[in-house]
Amino acid sequence: MPYKILEKKEIAMRNIWYRIHAPHVAKKVQPGQFVIVRAFKNGERIPLTPVMWDRDEGWIVLITFIRGKTTMRMANELKPGDEILNIAGPLGNPAEMEKFGKILAIGAYTGIVEVYPIAKAWQELGNEVTTLHVTFEPMVVLKDELEEAVGRHILETVPIDPNLDFPTNMKNVTRRLVEKVRELLENDEYDMVFMVGPAGDQRAVFNVVKEFGIPMKSDLHPIMVDGTGMCGACRVTVDGEVKFACIDGPEFDAYKVNWDELIARSGYYTDMEQRAMQEYMKLFEQALQGGEQ
Amino acid sequence: MAVKPKLIKERVPTPERPVEERVKSFVEVNLGYDFASAVKEAERCIQCPPEYAPCIKGCPVHINIPGFLKALRENADNPDEAVKNALRVIWNDNTLPAVTGRVCPQEDQCEAPCVMGKVGDPINIGKLERFVADYAREKGIDEELLCEFKESCTGTGGSVAVVGAGPAGLTCALELAKMGYKVTIFEALHEAGGVLMYGIPEFRLPKDILKTELEKLEKLGVEVKTNYIVGKTVTIEELLQEYDAVFIGTGAGTPKLLNIPGILLDRIYSANEFLTRVNLMKAYLFPEYDTPIAIGKKTIVIGAGNTAMDAARSALRLGSEVTIAYRRGREDMTARIEEIHHAEEEGVKFEFFLTPVEFIGDENGKVKAVKFEKMRPLEERDKRGKRKIVGTGEYVTLEADTVIIAIGLEPNRILVEASGFKANPDGTLVVDENLMTSIPGVFAGGDAIRGEATVILAMGDGKKAAKAIDAYIKQKKANA
Repeated sequence: MPYKILEKKEIAMRNIWYRIHAPHVAKKVQPGQFVIVRAFKNGERIPLTPVMWDRDEGWIVLITFIRGKTTMRMANELKPGDEILNIAGPLGNPAEMEKFGKILAIGAYTGIVEVYPIAKAWQELGNEVTTLHVTFEPMVVLKDELEEAVGRHILETVPIDPNLDFPTNMKNVTRRLVEKVRELLENDEYDMVFMVGPAGDQRAVFNVVKEFGIPMKSDLHPIMVDGTGMCGACRVTVDGEVKFACIDGPEFDAYKVNWDELIARSGYYTDMEQRAMQEYMKLFEQALQGGEQ
Repeated sequence: MAVKPKLIKERVPTPERPVEERVKSFVEVNLGYDFASAVKEAERCIQCPPEYAPCIKGCPVHINIPGFLKALRENADNPDEAVKNALRVIWNDNTLPAVTGRVCPQEDQCEAPCVMGKVGDPINIGKLERFVADYAREKGIDEELLCEFKESCTGTGGSVAVVGAGPAGLTCALELAKMGYKVTIFEALHEAGGVLMYGIPEFRLPKDILKTELEKLEKLGVEVKTNYIVGKTVTIEELLQEYDAVFIGTGAGTPKLLNIPGILLDRIYSANEFLTRVNLMKAYLFPEYDTPIAIGKKTIVIGAGNTAMDAARSALRLGSEVTIAYRRGREDMTARIEEIHHAEEEGVKFEFFLTPVEFIGDENGKVKAVKFEKMRPLEERDKRGKRKIVGTGEYVTLEADTVIIAIGLEPNRILVEASGFKANPDGTLVVDENLMTSIPGVFAGGDAIRGEATVILAMGDGKKAAKAIDAYIKQKKANA
């Protein structure tokens, strides 16, 4: 059953917004849950998070960061009116919906799109939520939406230095993230910290939060294939035990996560990911040139 | 005076693709019979009466085996007619013969008690079943027959939801459709088939053949909803409101992993992940297909069941040297003899009496070796009849840059946890003699109630449940 794209737009550099007809997901999804998307016939299955939804109208919003072949191919080739082949879900456990008190919810890069539904629901439940978005200057998303949804939304942007390579630029984001979190925790008392972002940044932030002894939850993003607990690709060690993020998570107690392992595991396919991307870009450029002739 | 039939002791062989050719690709290894050799093999059958034919009893879905072999022989001069009659006999009991003829462990089932096996080779029932299905598909004979079956389906006005599109669910759905029920299958993955799709490799069960078999569902009016995770997308309670009954055929798809150091190192796969990437996602065609798979030069597969053989032979086809390491001995292996034989022919090496105790990684977090403890067998046997083993305290380390763990599977917890079924400690659902679960109107079968078993046992359960569901719905409507 294909799922129709009702709306598609580039909302920031490399950030694409898709509003998609998927009533089976829209009807049931809770904040913290995700879907597995397969967009093309020879495509892979990738996990994405519904950011917004309308249960009556039957749509969900997904925001992708163009990071590799699949997300780039979606951005290049899918138009409003096209159909996505498969959207399975909702998957994973919903985020715990309780009155925690004062919450700092952090999103690094496009991670903020996963923070949004959870932070909004926490605020509606009576929590005092501060969201912090740290990203590159041209990649700001959901600023207005978050300002409206939570008590306080802090945006910290880092310029992209064109003279530096991307990994070095990303270190600047990590640095700013750590500085800002420290500053916030020093000046205010929080009951809980929540974060979505790359594993390395999560560990860096966790190391600061730990100093303050504040509880912290992390949304983990290991590699996934099926998303239903049948392969263990997404396994993580939590409190010394092997857990599957797709069925036991994706949210875990940051104090119990084996961060080193998680960081190592997220880089397992880097070489092949780059190869897929390069070959796709070559084909795409050829197609573009062909179109111009 | 009756003439004693002359027994032909040896079975007619089926051709196989040569080893050097087949290890380079995922094409099917066994080429199957042609009509002439199929008839020759069918003529070896001594035609035990169906009331006591041991082969029928050995088949979990009780196909009238002498009946379909007789149909083949009777029209030896008219292949199309012969196959049509044979397929009609098979379909009465089994609607997926192209699958079962390929993947059943016939040596433990229909072929094990075959009388001919006492004096020579048992009849090659599996390959004959496969021949009938393949020939019928190639000639479009199955289409004709499907129309015939469809006409006999009288609408009962009942509807059934089937959870899981694996062998149990498919069989249950097809049987119910044949009885005239409106059936909807809910499947979590993007393709139907269950383990037939993601688990069993192309070289044993070509996916094109599977897909054609699955088209029968649509032709019999069965709807398949993929991307539905029952327990998450829709609950059992909701299904019960909409349907007269529910069948659970969710299988045992959660891999058991070894609880030893190093389990999270790079390039340690569960067999399920490895096979899903290869079979369902076609990672062996990367980058034409987007899903990657990282495989090194030396692979160790841990375990010795069919899953281990499938993983080992797939890794070999991806260009790796492969060793299977098993904690017991050669005679304790649970894989089909044919598959062990194929694996050996293709160059898979075997190491016995080794239990992994640690995965050793390099500085980049990639696995580089597996440390094993050497085991020793005892005379004593466990409840499955296998020899017990004990550690010797001696260790051996084998180099490997890829490890695939194939030590077994257990039922997925999503559904049980979401719906409050009565379950056993191993996660299998508790059912009564009619395969009904602790929730009235909800039936279950296959690996979901057995733990990891075989395709044909799952199909047998699906068929049995379909009968029980039919009786349950009729009773319910009579009482209403």
